[in-house]
Amino acid sequence: MLEIKGLKKKFDDLEVLKGIDLSVKKGDVISILGSSGSGKTTLLRCLNFLTMADEGEMIFDDVHYDLARMSKKEIFDIRKKTAFVFQNYALFINKTALENVTEGLIVARKMDKKEAITLAKEALDRVGLSDRYDYYPRQLSGGQQQRVAIARAMVYRPEIIYFDEPTSSLDPELIGEVLSVMRDLAQSGMTMIVVTHEMNFAKNVSSKVIFMEGGKIVEEGTAKEIFEEAKEERTRRFLASYYDRI
Amino acid sequence: MNDRLIEILTSSFFEILIQGLKVTIPLTIISFAIALVIALLVAIVQVANIKVAKQVARFYVWIIRGTPLIVQLFIVFFGLPSLGIVIDAFPSAIIVFSINTGAYASETIRAAIEAVPNSQFEAGYCVGMNYVQIMYRIILPQAMRTAFPPLSNSLIGLVKDTSLAASITVVDMFLVAQRVAAQTYETFALYMEVALVYLIFCTVLTKLQTVMEKRLRMD
Ligand SMILES: Nc1ncnc2c1ncn2[C@@H]1O[C@H](COP(=O)(O)OP(=O)(O)OP(=O)(O)O)[C@@H](O)[C@H]1O
Ligand SMILES: [Mg+2]
Repeated sequence: MLEIKGLKKKFDDLEVLKGIDLSVKKGDVISILGSSGSGKTTLLRCLNFLTMADEGEMIFDDVHYDLARMSKKEIFDIRKKTAFVFQNYALFINKTALENVTEGLIVARKMDKKEAITLAKEALDRVGLSDRYDYYPRQLSGGQQQRVAIARAMVYRPEIIYFDEPTSSLDPELIGEVLSVMRDLAQSGMTMIVVTHEMNFAKNVSSKVIFMEGGKIVEEGTAKEIFEEAKEERTRRFLASYYDRI
Repeated sequence: MNDRLIEILTSSFFEILIQGLKVTIPLTIISFAIALVIALLVAIVQVANIKVAKQVARFYVWIIRGTPLIVQLFIVFFGLPSLGIVIDAFPSAIIVFSINTGAYASETIRAAIEAVPNSQFEAGYCVGMNYVQIMYRIILPQAMRTAFPPLSNSLIGLVKDTSLAASITVVDMFLVAQRVAAQTYETFALYMEVALVYLIFCTVLTKLQTVMEKRLRMD
């Protein structure tokens, strides 16, 4: 469904992504692990053109794109098939939970307002917020805000949702509610790429785990292959540092 | 206080107040409305980085903020006629006050737009909206909330600045007060009185500002 070849990105002289190859099949749940500064966020942002890659190729639904020369229209078309969940939620703070979810449907997709509201309520119900339609973001807890953001992402029925550390800004007791929404989403067959530090999520939910370091993919495989049989020393060291912490 | 003074003050109070309602208030409101439109445009072309327009906008703000308001009034009303452009006093005042307040307000609005986190833009793009839609529906509503208190200040400032229009023969409440003072020689009382009327107008506006600010809060 989605394939990336040789994606590179520099910030001034700093080479942040040094040639990323990635292949995503429908229904995949890919967890990306890696230490701070390894380029995980930059990779996701490049996939949705919030940051423009310097070179590389993208094949999305059999259409080839040259990442160095994307037209506005191409970017628009790809974004229609994707959704993004940010670490800091990034809800529209002048809109209620319901409006956050309907906004793109009505404004970008020109959907009938009534239909949009029906879909949005369904999405909010799915993430357990049926009693919070009319709340503004600042009236919601972090976990609730992130669940609104997930509802906003899934309401478009995108082909793929990118998550950038969706639980990293949350208090520990709120992480579970967000992860359980994500697990449901994964089980419903949604294709997801998740940058995360939640090892249990990566282990139990993902169909593929990627370990990044220094702007490269060091190792990838099934959860079992990465967590139990990692071939690369760096992967093992990274995972060990996690278990030490706990 | 003697009877004569009381009579002068009461009759002039209503004269001043009526002139305020007929001239000062319309002058303020019309100028401020035009100023807001100018300010929004000038702020947006800068934030949106529209090449030539951005330069023009910076030039405009530079000129207007760098020269005194009263000189601007004199240039338009007394200066332009020598170039063959004659504009009546009231429209001259409107032109100058709009352009002047617009320059200051554009800086307020620009700063307010820039204070909206970039992630609001990114979230908008990710749900498929385009720049104009995001600007209009997400960024500006947030920016206007931030800009509201400083813009209210500009409005209150403008109410008082309109007294400068008296210097280009606009018969506003200050000019009425000057005339009565000249006829009756009660300068102190008359200027205190007109000051009081300005104070009343500004107090009403300040109260309105407080009420509006409460309403604009998003919780
Ligand atoms: N806009 C930018 N300008 C310059 N450098 C940047 C920019 N964004 C990221 N970087 C740099 O690129 C590198 C990779 O950053 P990135 O945010 O992708 O890492 P990450 O893997 O997501 O880390 P973390 O786990 O801390 O979120 C870092 O060294 C960072 O300083
Ligand atoms: Mg990151």
